[in-house]
Amino acid sequence: MATAHPPTSNPSSVYLDPDKCGDPAVTTTPPNLPQHQRHALDSALRVDQAGELAANYIYMGQMAVLGRDPVTGPLIQDMWDQEKKHLAVMNKLQDQHRIRPTVLWEVARVAGFGLGAVTALMGKEAAMACTEAVETVIGEHYDDQLKEMEGLPASHPSVPVLKSVIEEFRDDELGHLDIAVENHSQRAPAHALLSTVVGAGCKVAIELCKRI
Amino acid sequence: MSRPQLLQLAIPLVQTYGFTRAALSHSVFRLPKPHSEQLSDSAVTALFGEGNDARKTLIDAWLEDARQHMRASPSPTIKAILTQRLKQNEPVLQFLPEAFALLASPTNGLPPLDPLPALKHAGSVADEACHIVGEHNIGLAWYSRRATLGAVYAAAELHQLNSPSTVYDFLESLLDSSGKVESALQDAGTFAGYIGRSWAGIIKSRGPF
Repeated sequence: MATAHPPTSNPSSVYLDPDKCGDPAVTTTPPNLPQHQRHALDSALRVDQAGELAANYIYMGQMAVLGRDPVTGPLIQDMWDQEKKHLAVMNKLQDQHRIRPTVLWEVARVAGFGLGAVTALMGKEAAMACTEAVETVIGEHYDDQLKEMEGLPASHPSVPVLKSVIEEFRDDELGHLDIAVENHSQRAPAHALLSTVVGAGCKVAIELCKRI
Repeated sequence: MSRPQLLQLAIPLVQTYGFTRAALSHSVFRLPKPHSEQLSDSAVTALFGEGNDARKTLIDAWLEDARQHMRASPSPTIKAILTQRLKQNEPVLQFLPEAFALLASPTNGLPPLDPLPALKHAGSVADEACHIVGEHNIGLAWYSRRATLGAVYAAAELHQLNSPSTVYDFLESLLDSSGKVESALQDAGTFAGYIGRSWAGIIKSRGPF
């Protein structure tokens, strides 16, 4: 059984290290970005923050139902702890780059919890299938963002940090995807239907959060 | 000589010429190698837009500059930062009503009035103030905090246009009452939470119906 423990020093730890809280790489945003790039960065980080928020609540919903299961419980708890860390870093990025958070904040919380709880009630495999579908969409989304971020000015210290943080989060989410598959997500009842519905829902949510 | 550079040079001229195309055309006198003649009207149109669009560009640049100056506030409190921003208005106070009217008037005539620039102005002042103080708000609190501060600032600015001497006391009283409203709402929310939990306990203890 694979666990979700990352190496101890990774790019995002600079945001969680109290000694580094004055570092310009974590406190300043590139000045004088062209309007379209600023807008793209704003919507990208807004979606990422909403995604991490929803992921937190999905795992919370799944834990509410499956928390007592001896195998699945600790697994979900592990993945949830990583998502909590992701959300903390995203909140710091929000302040740093002066991002407007999504208006759908409360909706993301409720919908995430609902999705997690409902799929967990359908069974352990369904919960894993939900995780698989969500992490697939998120992993691809982070990948697309990394390609868009190629255009940001690499001379500003915050940009390489941002790119490495997004890379790290992408790898974490794909790690969760692997864990879900290893834990029999493919055996879930109506796996194809469930994955399609959850995946489509995630894509709609991403498009909405980009705009509002 | 570039468009942003000329715009920056035109900003201090607003005190003398107002938010007019004249301020833009006289900006070339303040270049490191000053021109001998002011910019022609067609040059102002080419660089900044025709008619009132040029004036709107100047107003936006002046507002952005005033936001940058908020950082020079003596102490990092919301009150001091908003006071600092209101002080920026003082040299150009007589030109501001027309400037805001220009921003609110649409380029094409429909709809009759555009409230968005005013909301954006109040919102961006509030956002800058929160950023300078280092407030960390997430979720809907981000919006409610900026809405509150934006409303306080907008009311104070309108007051300043009519009665500039009493504006700082007015700002202080607005900030006090908004603080009281926020804490009253929070208390109401906590109390509602207690009531909700009591009811949940009562319903659970009644057992199966």
